Amino acid sequence: MRSVGGLAALFLLLGIAGPWLAPHDPTQINIAHRLSPPGAEWLLGTDALGRDIVSRLLHGARWSLGLAFVISVAGLCIGTLVGLVAALGGRLADWALMRTTDTFLAFPDLVAAVVIAGVLGAGTGSLIFALTVTGWMRYARVARAVGVSLHSRGYVVQARLAGLWPAAIAFWHYLPSLLSSLMVVWTGMFARAVLGISALGFLGFGVQPPSPEWGTMLLDARIHMRSTPLQMLWPGLAVVGCVLAINLTGDALRDRLAEKDGHR
Amino acid sequence: MTGLVVGLILRAGVVLTGAALATFALLWHAPGDPALAIALARFDTVVPAAVIDQLRAEAGLDGGFWQAFLAWVAPLLVGDFGQSSVTGRDVWPDLVRAMSYTLPLALAGLLVGLIISLPLALVATRRPGGWLDRCAVGVAALGASIPAYWLGLLLIMLFAVRLGWLPATGARTPVHIVLPAVTLGLGVAASFTRILRSGILDARAQPFLPAFRRRGVACRDIARAHVAPHAAIPVVTVFGLELAFLLEGAVMVETIFARPGLGSFLVGAIEARDFPKVQAVVVFSALLFVTFNMIIDLIYRAIDPRIGEHNA
Repeated sequence: MRSVGGLAALFLLLGIAGPWLAPHDPTQINIAHRLSPPGAEWLLGTDALGRDIVSRLLHGARWSLGLAFVISVAGLCIGTLVGLVAALGGRLADWALMRTTDTFLAFPDLVAAVVIAGVLGAGTGSLIFALTVTGWMRYARVARAVGVSLHSRGYVVQARLAGLWPAAIAFWHYLPSLLSSLMVVWTGMFARAVLGISALGFLGFGVQPPSPEWGTMLLDARIHMRSTPLQMLWPGLAVVGCVLAINLTGDALRDRLAEKDGHR
Repeated sequence: MTGLVVGLILRAGVVLTGAALATFALLWHAPGDPALAIALARFDTVVPAAVIDQLRAEAGLDGGFWQAFLAWVAPLLVGDFGQSSVTGRDVWPDLVRAMSYTLPLALAGLLVGLIISLPLALVATRRPGGWLDRCAVGVAALGASIPAYWLGLLLIMLFAVRLGWLPATGARTPVHIVLPAVTLGLGVAASFTRILRSGILDARAQPFLPAFRRRGVACRDIARAHVAPHAAIPVVTVFGLELAFLLEGAVMVETIFARPGLGSFLVGAIEARDFPKVQAVVVFSALLFVTFNMIIDLIYRAIDPRIGEHNA
């Protein structure tokens, strides 16, 4: 657990402080030094336009992790709201919202994200929209399921009998009980967002050049696969390390919660 | 049971109608004039406004949203996916051709996943917590974190560029499927191993097993009648989840390996702004997905009587 936390903290730190650690400007084109091998000046070499790969990776951390954070938190808010309204808003609202959730779940989500981002035009805005629209349903399902199981709890019944407004009941009595389950879903969706951002970037529908995003970097590196194969290694390793750290944190969180439930 | 099936089909109908509406609404509100895109694709030059208006009318885009939606959805109900706005040809034969590349890839990926994960899970659960078990868990965690497109590129680099053993791109010979299938299969294996492992451990830990054993029931009978059904439930769940993974994975993997399947079909259609094709892929994959999940739901109920009919 401690080592997992350390790994996650390292990536969090990279996401926040990455750009300040970068030795060069990530968008500075330097044709004279294009495709340099790794060395003292350029730790991991330079890309086809002579830009420093280390600096691009470090700046890319902020793109990937920052955007993934925005996307996963937006999904968390939408999904929780939908799930709580479905759980508390009566049968009609429940039916309508859950069928809407099923509808959004009817698409394989990366396919839907590719279509949305591609059709709306490549760019950061449509990337966020595409991954948020395809990423809120799991929160809604969990929020509703846990919410429904809370209906007959003593404190909820008391609150309802006391005439508390449903929104207040949802906020004060349902949300705190939901948080731990939602956190586990959130780590999974955060990892999914990191993968989604780089996948869309790799397809050319995501963050646009010259911004240093890991998926876009892979797309650039792919062209020079034969001459400088090492270039393809770094952005991929960054994505894998990042997603692995998030997934392991999520697993540890889930185990801890299961343990807590077991003791109760 | 009949009522249950009817209920599930009705629900699938509602979901699919919603899916079709959502897809159409997205493309309707997409920036850019679709008629202009058609004109550019067909004539490749600047054309007078009158021609664009005519194209717009031909494509059924001149009416309102609902009119256009109905004009698209009504033929869809009888399996007519419309015509490509760029080439004017029927979308369905092209879609079938793309699927004829994607389906073998998905099945091969599934097979590779099973071949790797089944022995791995069985060996790992022999001694839970042992080094083999920990290795299997670690490999599964790593496998779940590797993006398919990067894995594909690494495999191309190693087996096609460095060693020259396998072809990297295209789909001319059956050998061309090896690298894409392995790329897809390794991702499948990661999640299969994880769920199979916990399924087997869970089934073995059931409290009724020692009771049966003490009453003298044969080990083989216990395994067949009690452990297998228990372990089957998570496996069925996985197949449901894996379909999504296989479809999305195929989209990415086909793009890397330049296979002319559903992925290349979709990306090409988006880039050409050929909206009837995009709509066809999205609705078709939603149809596959919903049908598959409905079948899984029914299998669940057949093997696990605890899931009552009222949970429909």
